Amino acid sequence: MEILQIEATKYTPQIILDPDGYISIKGKSYPENSFEFYEPIIDWIENYFTLTNTTKTIIDIHIVYFNSSSSKVFFDIFDIVDEYNNSHHIDINWLYDKENENVYESGEDFIEDFKNLKINLISI
Amino acid sequence: MQFHENKLISQIQHLKEEFDTTTTKLIKELKRQDKIMARSDKRQQQEYDELMDLKIELEETQKEIVFIMGAIGEYRTKELGNHVKRVASYSYLLAKYYGLSHKECELLKYASPMHDIGKVVIPDSILNKAGRLDEQERAFIQKHSAIGYNLLKNSHRELLQVASIIAHEHHEKYNGEGYPNGLSGEEIHIYGRITALADVFDALSSDRVYKKAWDDERIFALLKEEKGKHFDPKLVDIFFKHLDEFLEIRDRLSDPISS
Repeated sequence: MEILQIEATKYTPQIILDPDGYISIKGKSYPENSFEFYEPIIDWIENYFTLTNTTKTIIDIHIVYFNSSSSKVFFDIFDIVDEYNNSHHIDINWLYDKENENVYESGEDFIEDFKNLKINLISI
Repeated sequence: MQFHENKLISQIQHLKEEFDTTTTKLIKELKRQDKIMARSDKRQQQEYDELMDLKIELEETQKEIVFIMGAIGEYRTKELGNHVKRVASYSYLLAKYYGLSHKECELLKYASPMHDIGKVVIPDSILNKAGRLDEQERAFIQKHSAIGYNLLKNSHRELLQVASIIAHEHHEKYNGEGYPNGLSGEEIHIYGRITALADVFDALSSDRVYKKAWDDERIFALLKEEKGKHFDPKLVDIFFKHLDEFLEIRDRLSDPISS
């Protein structure tokens, strides 16, 4: 499996998907079509969990601004991660800028919805 | 006795389980959607509020800068006190009764303090000369309209655009005998025609280095005499029709008596 890296644009975050066990989404996320933008990322993550033998995965998500469809996509991503939570050791770091109440609150939403996932809320 | 189990029951049982799974999933999905929507609404509200705060900040900053620039010109000409504030208020009133929109009245009010900004480059020896100016000096001082215009014209900001028109045309005269371009009648922008009257009325009402304030009778006589010559006749009519309001502004914004 190949590493997939997508550079940040004005509307989309930087993405790093490393089959050695590291996933990072960083920046702003308000693409015109979030589902289209995240489709290859979601495909990669599904393949990663089914195809690789990696047993530990670290996921860093550091979003500074996002639209509601991106928020929906994050739920979808967490759904996939949740499915493989038993067979993998998965650490999720939901990073937020100290002043950014909105990002902090959506981190809380994920914790509430995904009781089995280990989601750390980390202020930067 | 053993009953034969109805095959339908197991089928229904299966359907029920599937139905349960699907509805549970749907409920979960709907709850998520609601949550996303509520968060998004909250965010939108915050963002709009922030945007409006920024807009106000921007507008206020523009107004303050314009006012300060006007005050710089005022310091240079030693027309200290409330000259620019009075001209601003007279202009607003003339614009309102002339029938300009509220927005234009406001723009005029906030831009008019810059009408003499071009004077910043006129030497003190001319600007503050107590006696009569010779022809050369007068020609020099008249350059302030074009200078003010050139300073302001390149900005695309609405307020500065209005200010550039005022700086350029506030010494034009209705009969075409003004400067810098000798425009006449409605060729002169309404902003210029309004500021011309407001500026002259205030100048006549105030002490200047080269003259004492005129008494009202003399001022009113001159404005009537210059109706259709220096000033737009419609504006002179408005001025006299609402004279009490203009005099109220003059009183309210009168300069402290200098020692």
